[in-house]
Amino acid sequence: MPGILSGVRVLELTNAPSGAFCAKLLADQGADTIKVEPPGWGDQARHEPPFMGGEPHFDRSSAFLAFNTNKRGITLDAGQTAGRELLGRLVKGAQVVIESYPPGHLNGLGLGYEAQKEINPSVILLSITYFGQTGPYSGYRGDDLVAQAMGGYLYAVTGSADRPPMGTALQQMEITAARNGAIAIMAALLQREETGAGAHIDLSVMEAVVATPSGLIHPYSFTGRSPRRGGGDHNVMDGMHMPTRDGEVTLTTAGTGGRPMEVWAELLAQPDLLDSKFTTRQSRLENWEELRSLVAPKLAQWDNLDLMKETMARGLVIGLVQSPEQVVNSPHLAEREYFVQLEHPEVGPLKYPGSGFLIDGMNPMQTTRAAPRLGEHNAEVFCGDLGLSMAELGLLRAARVI
Amino acid sequence: MASQGVLQGIRVLTLEQVHALPWGTAFLADLGAQVIRIESVDHLQDRKSGPFVDGKPGKEWWNEGGNLVYFGTRNKQSLCLEVNSPKGREVFLRLAKHCDVVTDNFRPGTMERLGFDHPSLARINPRIITLSGTAYGYTGPWRRAGSRARTVDAACGLSSLTGYEGGPSMRASNNYMDHSVGNNVAYALLLAIYSRKKTGKGMRIDLTMQETGVSCIGPAILEAQRGIKRSRLGCGHLWKSPHNVYPCRGNDRWIAIAISDDAEWLALKQEMEEPSWAADSRLDSALGRWQHRRELDDHLATWTATQDDQVLMRRLQDRGVPAGSALTAKDLVGDPHLQARGFLQEYDNPGCPQVGRRVYAGRPFRTPELPMAIRDSATLGEHNHQVLREVGGLSEDEIEELAREAVISTRPGAEERAP
Repeated sequence: MPGILSGVRVLELTNAPSGAFCAKLLADQGADTIKVEPPGWGDQARHEPPFMGGEPHFDRSSAFLAFNTNKRGITLDAGQTAGRELLGRLVKGAQVVIESYPPGHLNGLGLGYEAQKEINPSVILLSITYFGQTGPYSGYRGDDLVAQAMGGYLYAVTGSADRPPMGTALQQMEITAARNGAIAIMAALLQREETGAGAHIDLSVMEAVVATPSGLIHPYSFTGRSPRRGGGDHNVMDGMHMPTRDGEVTLTTAGTGGRPMEVWAELLAQPDLLDSKFTTRQSRLENWEELRSLVAPKLAQWDNLDLMKETMARGLVIGLVQSPEQVVNSPHLAEREYFVQLEHPEVGPLKYPGSGFLIDGMNPMQTTRAAPRLGEHNAEVFCGDLGLSMAELGLLRAARVI
Repeated sequence: MASQGVLQGIRVLTLEQVHALPWGTAFLADLGAQVIRIESVDHLQDRKSGPFVDGKPGKEWWNEGGNLVYFGTRNKQSLCLEVNSPKGREVFLRLAKHCDVVTDNFRPGTMERLGFDHPSLARINPRIITLSGTAYGYTGPWRRAGSRARTVDAACGLSSLTGYEGGPSMRASNNYMDHSVGNNVAYALLLAIYSRKKTGKGMRIDLTMQETGVSCIGPAILEAQRGIKRSRLGCGHLWKSPHNVYPCRGNDRWIAIAISDDAEWLALKQEMEEPSWAADSRLDSALGRWQHRRELDDHLATWTATQDDQVLMRRLQDRGVPAGSALTAKDLVGDPHLQARGFLQEYDNPGCPQVGRRVYAGRPFRTPELPMAIRDSATLGEHNHQVLREVGGLSEDEIEELAREAVISTRPGAEERAP
């Protein structure tokens, strides 16, 4: 199935996971996405552990592999005149440019939004930075943890009430910013279809964090209280994780028709749950230790997949706390053909997560290629697309432009 | 309702509840689509979910919750129509004939039972785009299971990777997955609308919460296939140190500091005025700092504990050290950066004067060409007449009859209690 975005060319000039993941979202739907990396070293993500196979190698970082599927990769030193000139030609041929330089950096290269518009009047430029293009923090430095802190997530969301703030794993704020970026780009592409006009989109990771519907701002505005972490603490029936025979599970009171303890007492064969001290949500919190001591030993007799089957049959809602390995081996995801297998010359075949949706019953994620090796498509892009000769390519290489 | 916007002329009919799907369709509403949210007096959970002014539902509680403005009915129309009744079903189909997109987040099977499944709708509207957002999708052994954002957090693998260092697994959030899934809903729908402009064809989208969740943790999914196990690190990092959250002066005040290279470490040392512990040569290299990170964290925490977090953040950032206060909602509302950027939005709640002016987060992306502000929020059934007349082509008499028979409503039933 050809990708929906197969007529769109994207130029990616990023050095952070947010920009890489955003470009990947477009590439996975068929956009011809050219990732531009600095010669020699490449994207910083190439050098971040863990590495597939253990040994550090710039084509084997799991983060780089995961966030760069279906892209072509070239190298280019934009600090050199020849590099800037080539970058300008690439901008000319692109519909979308995604960049994550510090604000003002592209202007310094003579390739800010206004300059890009001169070359390509309908260009859509997405700038993703931790704090946005304007404002007093725009020059601040960040990473995912700093964004979690400044966006209010660290204080309010993940950790326990009686412990220091604690964040979410695996750079989820970068991912959230990236998904917002893909939405903004689609809106801009649709607009371009109508009017021919491009856009400069200023996307802030910090603001992407604040805007999560966990709703920091309006709950404060309505109640005068700042939401604080710890919502899952001591909540046996609606928050805690408890061991099963072969894993962990989190329960909910959903699907019990307003009779949670009756339903769970029957399923777990634990009549003590009917005690009046567990009747209300508040009383369950007050007696959480006793409640857990009744529930946990019963859950420990179940295997994850059996418990899932049984609760599903009864219309109950639980969550198996699955490890990534269990996810990879999930029979459910296998039946839905969720994972996409891609071959990579350095790491071999691997299953990559799909897009999260099927279109007309098919997985729409493109299977064009795994992440590019550093400069893998230099000849293809510079000679094939821009019309340089191999001799010119050699000159550029000797001058360390590519 | 919206008269401007890139999606002007696109009409969305949505049977949506709770969080993920309403969050997704709100983007389309922001962009100018006419999003008609179908509600039911028998399922008013979203209108009970608050937050309410001072935590107390008022007399007209069903129109007062803050989540409605923020995403539930944001820039949407409300049609309170009982699609479980034969007449309601018939009305829904009359509307669907004139819509571009139909979305739902029922469990698989419900839309078919109602006669609203994709093949049925495509028969009356061949270019229709439909999207169902479910826990695990329409196929596969778990298709009948329901979910909450928290259970998806667990099932996708994220919870198992989240937790304090050395501690048990924890859900990342009670609703982060609603947010991710809602974002993916908006992306998928915009792709479908874009595709239809190019090809003239509609499509069927089967979007799942679990699969969206798995796509958030790609690196760990690849690692698992090569036997690499990630341990839980709290605020720690696989290679950066110091990289953690440190206590500051005052009650429950904290700062995150994230050092990735020698230059940032030297700048931090200067800001600390070169304490003797930091002169330890083991801390000169990135490797040494990471290997001795616990000791380093303890020393650093002793230093930060005497400082004001926001003053310290500014001082560190002025030296080029990545650092950020763990801001509270109250801090964010008063934050000078967000104010300078015009990120927060005040909205007067004209449909609900007892709620009055409140502050809401904006959209994280800004471009003059794509205004995304809250312009409107619908009270229950506010658009019953308008939608039925203009979209469904019903006469006023027909509409009055539906109202008499309680197929459409503008307020909860008499027996419904405040949350």
